Amino acid sequence: MSNLVHKEASLLEVKNLETAFSIDGAYYNAVDKVSFSIKPGQIVGVVGESGCGKSVLSLSIMQLLPKGNGEIRSGEITFEGVQLNQLSDTEMNRIRGRDISMIFQEPMTSLNPVFTIGYQLQEVLFNHMKISKGDARQKSIALLKSVGISRPEKLVDEYPHQLSGGMRQRVMIAMAIACQPKLLIADEPTTALDVTVQAQILELLKTIQEVNDMSIILITHDLGVIAEMCDEVLVMYAGRIIERSDAESLFYKPMHPYTELLLGAIPKMDEEAGMLSSIEGMVPSLKNMPETGCRFALRCPKVKPECSAVTPLLEEVEEGHSVSCILYETSMPRKGVKP
Amino acid sequence: MQVTTVKESQLKLKPVKSTSPWALARRKFLRNKLAMASLLFLIIVAILSFLAPYLTTQDIARINIGEMSLAPSGEHWLGTDKSGRDVFTRLLYGGRISLIVGISCTLLVILMGTVIGAMAGYFGGIIDSMLMRFTDFVLTFPFTVFVIVLNAVFFGKLNGLLVLILVISFLSWGSVARIVRSKILAEKENEYIMAAISIGCSPFKVIVKHLLPNVLSTIIVQGTILFATMIVVESGLSYLGFGVPAEIPSWGNMLSSANEPDVLQSKPWIWIPPALAITFTILAINFVGEGLKDALNPRSRR
Repeated sequence: MSNLVHKEASLLEVKNLETAFSIDGAYYNAVDKVSFSIKPGQIVGVVGESGCGKSVLSLSIMQLLPKGNGEIRSGEITFEGVQLNQLSDTEMNRIRGRDISMIFQEPMTSLNPVFTIGYQLQEVLFNHMKISKGDARQKSIALLKSVGISRPEKLVDEYPHQLSGGMRQRVMIAMAIACQPKLLIADEPTTALDVTVQAQILELLKTIQEVNDMSIILITHDLGVIAEMCDEVLVMYAGRIIERSDAESLFYKPMHPYTELLLGAIPKMDEEAGMLSSIEGMVPSLKNMPETGCRFALRCPKVKPECSAVTPLLEEVEEGHSVSCILYETSMPRKGVKP
Repeated sequence: MQVTTVKESQLKLKPVKSTSPWALARRKFLRNKLAMASLLFLIIVAILSFLAPYLTTQDIARINIGEMSLAPSGEHWLGTDKSGRDVFTRLLYGGRISLIVGISCTLLVILMGTVIGAMAGYFGGIIDSMLMRFTDFVLTFPFTVFVIVLNAVFFGKLNGLLVLILVISFLSWGSVARIVRSKILAEKENEYIMAAISIGCSPFKVIVKHLLPNVLSTIIVQGTILFATMIVVESGLSYLGFGVPAEIPSWGNMLSSANEPDVLQSKPWIWIPPALAITFTILAINFVGEGLKDALNPRSRR
């Protein structure tokens, strides 16, 4: 995106967010001291393996954490000057779907099987607008058209089971953009779709983003998607942001060993066929998370003895490129981005 | 070329309106012969019962000493009972009471059970614990003893039938609440529930509009089973003399005359009609329930 965009005030600001789940009475941070901000019109990608806290992060922003065991323990989520984690449920309901909306991973289960497509689309409109039934129907047809569905007049009266996965994801997108939100959180929107449909959906998201000038948080574990879509990338590992940069420099100059390995794991067309490279081991579970030191130390090929003793901070190493790894701490004068 | 034209004509023949899950279930149910026959039987029973004043001119309460314990004849189709009252007339009026008690208890029980179960299941946490402990508490009441005591307490002060309906309902909603709660617990994990919250639906809206329609099939099937149970409960209590007040005929009341060995052995026309009425009604309700269960289960294909 242009530099102009980056100078505006941020739309969403997350500061020191800690989201924890209670297991056997004790709390474990699934998202640990995460800070970032999103400017209007920006597409921010969040990548990481499964279990890195990407989805928990998005649920925290939407205040959709499972009641009872998931909880925001500290930190601030500020959206347009309003602190979302201080709002009551009723106040949050006014924001959800109107200012911030969300697309889910599984289009097959994200639509209610007992209602028609049109009914579910109109529900968003009725929730947030004063609109007559006839107008709502017209608007829902227009919305379906805008997400590239070819026979919207018929589709409004159909049920979810009559639609393919790609179509359902389009309907989900139509629902999400119905009230022209300022921020769209897309939680792995293409993971459940096949490759050709994936490209179409991404294309659609990008078009809608340009037309409506909204910001998108795109959660994915597909680096190809990131390269295609995003202005800025957050790499998450075990609940922490370990690298933050614009999409281009992340691909040309990955800094954190984890990012390097992630990029190395992408199969390449021009290489000899052989074993796919992968990262040894797994993300430690919440209960087994090392308390001090770098959380990637156990799997890191460049590990040093002090890695497990010193907790690295996310520091800006180059203009617009921050990384949290002790390999880079001495390379520059300390410029702590976050505690 | 030939092939494409055939396909196009086929496309045109397709029904335009898309079938809702309910329409599919209805079609499946209509094809189930046993369930349809049972439904027809129930409708006939209901019509006969509710049109009783027009079908017979006999007085249900008047004791007629001259016509005690008459065998079936042209004048009294099913004979008369020990007080000289026409059995056929009492059977029709009795059906009325049985059906009214059955339907109103079922509706009340379903209403209470659904509200409490849905709230407990959706909100979870402390609300769930409190509502479910209350449910356990109600379920531990000894049913028969409770009904007998309450009936004795309110006897003569309130409309006996109303007391009976309220007491039965209040003691029976527990199991429905548990079933609804467990269904809601499973259903609320679905992504479309989170999607509904994410478009700004209030908890009330999520429960009523998104969760309940998805558990409605269970509630309906549960309702038919309850309906049958409630008729049995009413008959049982009336047979024991603790149900419907004695002056109102009900199938259970009528059966209680079979207490006497003389009636049981040599005057079968007095107790066989209500016994058969209860049996066949319960059977028919269960067949209808079974049919509904099949029709509403997306996995059963017929």
